[in-house]
Amino acid sequence: MGKLILFGFLFLSMSGKAQELFTMTEPASNIASGSVSLRIDNSIMDEINSSKNNYHLIPELALGISKKLMLRASTFFSNRTEKFRNEGGSIYAKYRFLSNDAMQAHFRMAAFVTLSYNNSDIHQEEISLYGHNTGFETGIIATKLLRKVALSSSVSLLRAYDNGNDNTFIYGLNNSKAVNYSISFGKLMLPKQYRDYRQTNLNLMVETLGQLNTGSGRYYVDIAPTVQFIFHSQSRIDISYRKQVSSNLLRTAPNGFFIRVEHNFFNIF
Amino acid sequence: MKKFLLLTALSVSLVIKAQVNKVSLQASGLTCSMCSNAINKSLKTLDFVLKVDADIKTYSFEISFKPNSVVDFDLIRKKVESAGFTVSAFYATLSFSNIPLNAGKPVLLQDKTLLFVNAKNQILDGDKQVKIIDKGFVSAKEYKKSNYPVPAAGSYHVTL
Repeated sequence: MGKLILFGFLFLSMSGKAQELFTMTEPASNIASGSVSLRIDNSIMDEINSSKNNYHLIPELALGISKKLMLRASTFFSNRTEKFRNEGGSIYAKYRFLSNDAMQAHFRMAAFVTLSYNNSDIHQEEISLYGHNTGFETGIIATKLLRKVALSSSVSLLRAYDNGNDNTFIYGLNNSKAVNYSISFGKLMLPKQYRDYRQTNLNLMVETLGQLNTGSGRYYVDIAPTVQFIFHSQSRIDISYRKQVSSNLLRTAPNGFFIRVEHNFFNIF
Repeated sequence: MKKFLLLTALSVSLVIKAQVNKVSLQASGLTCSMCSNAINKSLKTLDFVLKVDADIKTYSFEISFKPNSVVDFDLIRKKVESAGFTVSAFYATLSFSNIPLNAGKPVLLQDKTLLFVNAKNQILDGDKQVKIIDKGFVSAKEYKKSNYPVPAAGSYHVTL
């Protein structure tokens, strides 16, 4: 039944339409004003010291409020506890405050805020507002696009609070704050030359994702290569593998696959 | 006083029954076809637009209009911006019938006023392409060079 629902979601999202470039991080650009983007994110993470895979299903709905502002709502499901269940949700807002456009090029900067609620147990020192912790995060993103290559970087501050269902943040107030940073590189591989909107686009990306806990000084650094397909200039599928490169933080399941299916509906409000 | 100025402007300008045949614009700030498609779909929502032909390779869009419609250049520009991008070139093809163009005199076109820049005195006849050179219609770099003051709403600095 669970599988059936998943396939149903995948199928539904295929018929929609999609927008942004990077997988693990957001670029400074927003989705078009008046447009809606629907995503179904799936993480299949290998739990350390067990044979279990943690499956996270995160449906997301984003709205282009204006040319500079977008909002996104996400809700978190996972099978990490005994059964597959909903564990909370988050709201994300991104404001593009700088935009220098040129032919096939831009440099843009944006600021973002995430508010997240989660009611699962706290099981790792790593702070993640993407399906693990209640908390907030705020930061800035800078993205440079030059023809077929995009380079993006972000820095943010995050703070974890106690999770819902009386699940306390057990690592202490001092260790509840962290800095996240990322460097992402993407390249359009195909088509070699654009002819029409129905051509399938192939993008390759590599992202480096890091966290430094400002209390304990402990950190992680991950790398995540991605293959991305864009269909009919509207829908997209990303397949990534996230791998821990270095860490001294307690983490439950740092390595695994990530699959995103996205569809964009342009100009619907 | 305002009325007087307006009347003066009207009396010195040439009221012509010209038609905007098409607009062709180039957008900047994008590479991906999905971004181009966002502009394409955004332009199609304008009620006076009949058809948008997108050339993804050159990031340009050729827009044709419904008959007898009033074409709003600013709305076209805003649609590109609301998709998240910038207009870097904006050409309008206009039909004239024996309209004398005298240096420095504005030309009225539908509800718009065209301020010709660097144009010789001549008779405008047939289809002519004009380029709008105001802020937001050319690249930031190009605008920096010309730096024409922002005209009143509905007025545009153009070159032939």
